[in-house]
Parts: sequence; structure tokens; C-alpha cells
Amino acid sequence: MSSEVAIRVDNVAKRYRIFARPFDRLLHQLFGLRESRCEPFDALHELGFTVRRGETLGLIGRNGAGKSTLLQIICGTLTPSAGSVSVNGRVAALLELGAGFNPEFTGRENVYMNAAIYGLDRAAIERALPSILAFAEIGDFIDRPVKTYSSGMFVRLAFAVIAHVRADILIIDEALAVGDVYFTQKCMRFLKRFKESGTLVFVSHDVNAVINLCDRAVWLDRGRIARQGPAKEVCEAYLGSFYPDADTGDNDGGANVAGRRGGEEFGTGSARIEKVELLDATGRPLTLLLAAGRVELRVRCRAHADIADPIVGFFVKDRLGQYLFGQNSLQLLPGWTRIAAGASVEVGFAFHMPHLASGDYSIGVSVAAGSQEKHVQHHWIHDALHFRAQADPALTGWFALEDLECRLHDAGSDDVPA
Amino acid sequence: MLKQYLYLVYQMSRREIVGRYRGSMMGLLWSFASPLVMLAVYTFVFSVVFRVRWQTGGGDNASFALNLFAGVIAHGFFAECFNRSPALIAENAGYVKKVVFPLWMIPATVVVAAMFHMLVSLLVLLVCSALYLQQLHLAVLALPLLLAPYALLVLGVSWIFAALGVYLRDLAQVLPVVTTVMLFMAPVFYPVEALPEAYRGWMYLNPLTYVIGEMRALLLNGAMPQWAMLAKFTVAALLTAFAGWKVFRKAQPGFADVL
Repeated sequence: MSSEVAIRVDNVAKRYRIFARPFDRLLHQLFGLRESRCEPFDALHELGFTVRRGETLGLIGRNGAGKSTLLQIICGTLTPSAGSVSVNGRVAALLELGAGFNPEFTGRENVYMNAAIYGLDRAAIERALPSILAFAEIGDFIDRPVKTYSSGMFVRLAFAVIAHVRADILIIDEALAVGDVYFTQKCMRFLKRFKESGTLVFVSHDVNAVINLCDRAVWLDRGRIARQGPAKEVCEAYLGSFYPDADTGDNDGGANVAGRRGGEEFGTGSARIEKVELLDATGRPLTLLLAAGRVELRVRCRAHADIADPIVGFFVKDRLGQYLFGQNSLQLLPGWTRIAAGASVEVGFAFHMPHLASGDYSIGVSVAAGSQEKHVQHHWIHDALHFRAQADPALTGWFALEDLECRLHDAGSDDVPA
Repeated sequence: MLKQYLYLVYQMSRREIVGRYRGSMMGLLWSFASPLVMLAVYTFVFSVVFRVRWQTGGGDNASFALNLFAGVIAHGFFAECFNRSPALIAENAGYVKKVVFPLWMIPATVVVAAMFHMLVSLLVLLVCSALYLQQLHLAVLALPLLLAPYALLVLGVSWIFAALGVYLRDLAQVLPVVTTVMLFMAPVFYPVEALPEAYRGWMYLNPLTYVIGEMRALLLNGAMPQWAMLAKFTVAALLTAFAGWKVFRKAQPGFADVL
């Protein structure tokens, strides 16, 4: 293996064999018998990729896609059923926080134990200890049993140890989800520094963190690699996969809501919203908002009966469902008085989208008829579209200010008249 | 690498030993106190209540109690490791699934910790022997030659049952019964000479019989080891340890799938 390659995953597959009788499983493990008596479950189908030294790889995918299985195989805690993994360098993994921690023992004792597992001898641990304590910031709690720790303290200590074992390859699984913003930022700074010399494999549901941190990404879907390549591309494709017909091509990337199941909606049904799409300035579907800019929200609806005084409206909500902003066509299209039965129209709202704070957003749309005060909802969809925004994590509030300037004005000197 | 392993075994065993008394007021003193209390109870029950006498050697109460105690110590070491082995890996599932850890070390840790407790008990036994029987034999120095292969034997057995226990959970229920059978089918409460000749050979199928007999000989009778037998025992212990290692390594890749 070339010394340029840190991790090579070669046609790795993982088949879990489910035996009705444990004894059969034992015979299978020891002598390879009883294959016919198991019910196989393929968690990973043959897949392969390489991670170059110094590269940062993000691993994304939905729950059950095989991310954790793959990580465990790379770490060596799981044995692949086929294929092989070669790892070039010392691996430290944070698969689940504080795995090696004994709750009865103090933080300090656990640090010694944990670091010893990673191959540090006593002298090395003693040298690293002050730095570990400084990173973990748990103060006097270091000499109390770990069972008295808050989950945040637990994470901080576990991460602090991992950060100091001088690994060549770091593998981090969802580790940062537990900590508070302050600690997450600290870990991110550490990981960014670590990237300069080491190889990092990072698993997260947080696509923003992956884009922020990783050069490349691998998207796993039901045990197969759905896509791999530059992190941003893969993440966008992954986000796009959450929309029903995103696979049909770039020209048709909106949500086809006509045949929606499960989504919350109501209305008389005299008019139906058939399609909603959010397009960026170049006319491509927008799934990831990285900067403020011109967007157009297109809502297509079909009337099943004559609709007089139609109104089409939308609203943008944050993750918690708070309405951020919205508008309807009543004032904007004063001359629009009718949709004939069977006709289909598309209303486009073009506006300047502010650069929203990082997170998930959804867009609700509706078609109604009447006036602002008195109207009938024909079709209302709570969450017709989703998109994600990524902004500077330091951003406070809901959106970033634009054209922000800061000037220093001379307000006169503070001379006291005699 | 070896140095790191040894350091890790040391850390783990220390944790195992200290952990048992963690939070108790007397701490490590308990490891002295409990064998002392056991010794007192044995003496009372068997020599005062039952009025049994050890058939060979000195017939007084102290001698009986110490002979009994030697047997209980040797059996206790085995019982401790053997009973815990099938559940060990499941108890430490975190080491299997969450970190890359030399799993063979987990049973080894238990053996080292049990060995520590056995040594403490033996120390109590020797002190009592010196106080009450006014005897302390030079043959005691040969004790490590017996204990080392004994520990290897127990380690091998622990590896085997730790590996099998992951797959066969029933073992955790079965082994304590086996341990109790071994207690009575070994000359713990009686000298092997108390058995009719015809049964003695069978008794030696239990490896504890040899260990207990030899331990009494070294500690209480001052006889030097029977070298030929010790050599055979050592070879058997090495073979058991090797077999245990093989079984454990073979079964290990499947642990994470089962737990």
C-alpha cells in the first residue's frame, strides 16, 4: 500500500447472520458450519474507497445506511464478511462517547485507563494530562466519579483524551452532537488544526459540519455507496434525495406534491397544488442556501372547479415551525380574478432571500379563494418544501445582515472649556 | 508493545481490585478481613460444632482449620475466575464494540485480580500458621512454582468459557453448579486419604485435587514439591492455556456481531 493512502476499504461487505439457536452461531463462528440455518442480513454490500493521508472524509447517510457498521469495520471492532480494510497509521476512534469509561471511577483514573487503551504509557499520559484537563474544562470534577458527570462533561473529557493520543487517523462518529455550542466550536477548531497533519473520518447527520470540515464525502444508502466526491456536491445530492422526484434530473428538481402521502395538508380540494419549487438565480433547484440572493418560488396549481378571486400564498418557517416571512398574491396580482376549471397556473414569487442562520427550513404554500378577510382554503400544505441554510456559526439571530459597514465617526474631542 | 500490554493489564487489574472496595470505608482492608472471618467460621463450625478431625498430621483445631482454609483458598481462586468468565465479555461490551481493545486481556485481568486476593489469603494463612502452629516451612518458597502453572490453567479455562459464554448464555447459569460440584469433588473439606483407595484415582481427574494437595504439602507439611508431578501439571497447564488462547481468538471476531 502506498504511504499516501491512510485508509483503503477494499470490496468490504458485512453480512449479519441471524441464527435462531445460539449454538448454531457458535458452530458457525468456530468451524464455519450451519451456514444454511441462518437468516442473512446484508448491512454493507461490497463497497470500496480510499482515504488519502491528510484528507478529511465525511460519511453521510440516513439512519441504518451502514455508516456505523462501516466505521466499526475501519476501526477494527467489527470484522467484515468479505473484503479487507487496510489502515496505515495509528487510529483513535470516538465511536460512542466515553466507551472505555467506568462510571465508578474518577475522571482522572478514567483518563489514565482510556489513554492506556490507546497505547500511551504512564509517562506520556502524565505529560499530556495538564493539556487534557485544560481541554476538557471540567475543573474539580476530574477527581469525582464519572457517574456524577453531566453528559456534556462526559463528552468533553472523552474528546479531550482522543485529542491527545497523537493518532494519525481520527474517526469521529456523531460525537459533537452532545456538546454545547461553545464546546462544539472548540472541537471544530481542534479538528481543523488536526486536518493539517492527520487524516480524519467524520460521520454526522449535520451536513453543514461535513461541508465545513471535509474535503470529500461518501454518501451511503442502504449499504451501498450512493455517491462520493467533493463534500459539497455529495451533500447537496444527499439533501436533494429527501425530495420525492429529485432524481429525475436537474430541470425538474421541485417537489411534486400532487401525489404526496403523509404530509400535512387540508382544503376543499377544488384546486390542488401540484408542484412547488424553489429556484436559485440560475434557475436550478435550491436545496442548500449558502448566501443571500435572488430566488424564485414557483407554485403550480390546477383547478378542478371554477375558482373566483384565487389567492396563492407561501410562508417560510424555521425548524421549530416559527413563521419567518411570507406573502400572498392578493396585492401582487390585482388583475387575477379566475382560474377556469381544469386549467393549471403557475405563480412565481421572485424575491431576495436573506442569508438565513444555519439550519433546516420549510416552506408552506396554499391556494385559496376570496379576500384577505374572508376566504376559503382550497389546498394548504404545511411543509411543501424543505431547504437547508448554512451560515457562519457565529451568526446570532435569524439571518445575516447584508452590505454591513462599520464606520468610525469623529464625535469631537472631550476638551473641557476653561 | 509487550510493555504497553503489561501496563494495561496492570491498570485493569488495579482497577478490578480497587474497584471492588471502592466506596467502602475499610477499602483494601476487606481483602484481609474476609479471609480471616472465613477462617474463624470454618474453625468454629468444623472443629467445635461438628468435631471432625483431620485424619493426617496434627489433630488439633488450628491444624484442621488451616488445612481446610488452604483447600478453600485454592478452590476460591478457580471459582472466582470460572464463575465470572461466561458473562465477562458481555459485561464489557463497550470494549468489544466501541474501542479497539485487546479483549483477551479481560479474562486475564480477572485472573490477576483473583490471584491478588488468593495471595492475600495465603498470607493470612501463613501468619496464622506461624502464630498457632509455630511453624513456617522453607518449602513455602516453592509455592510460586505451583501457583504459576495453576494461574495459567485457570486462565486457559477462563478464555474458553469467556469465548463460549458470549454465544451460549446458559453457561452463566451452569458454571456455578459445576463450581460447587468441584468444591465437594475435591479434597477441600477432607484429605484425599480419607477416601477409599478405589475412588482416589477418580478424584485426581479434578485438577484441583492435585493443586490442593500440593499446596497443603508445601504450606503446612513443609514437603518439597513432587517434581515429576509438578512438571506434568505445568505441561498440562501450558496446553490448556494454549487451547484457551486458540478458542478465544477464533471466537473473538464474532463477539461484536452477537453483543
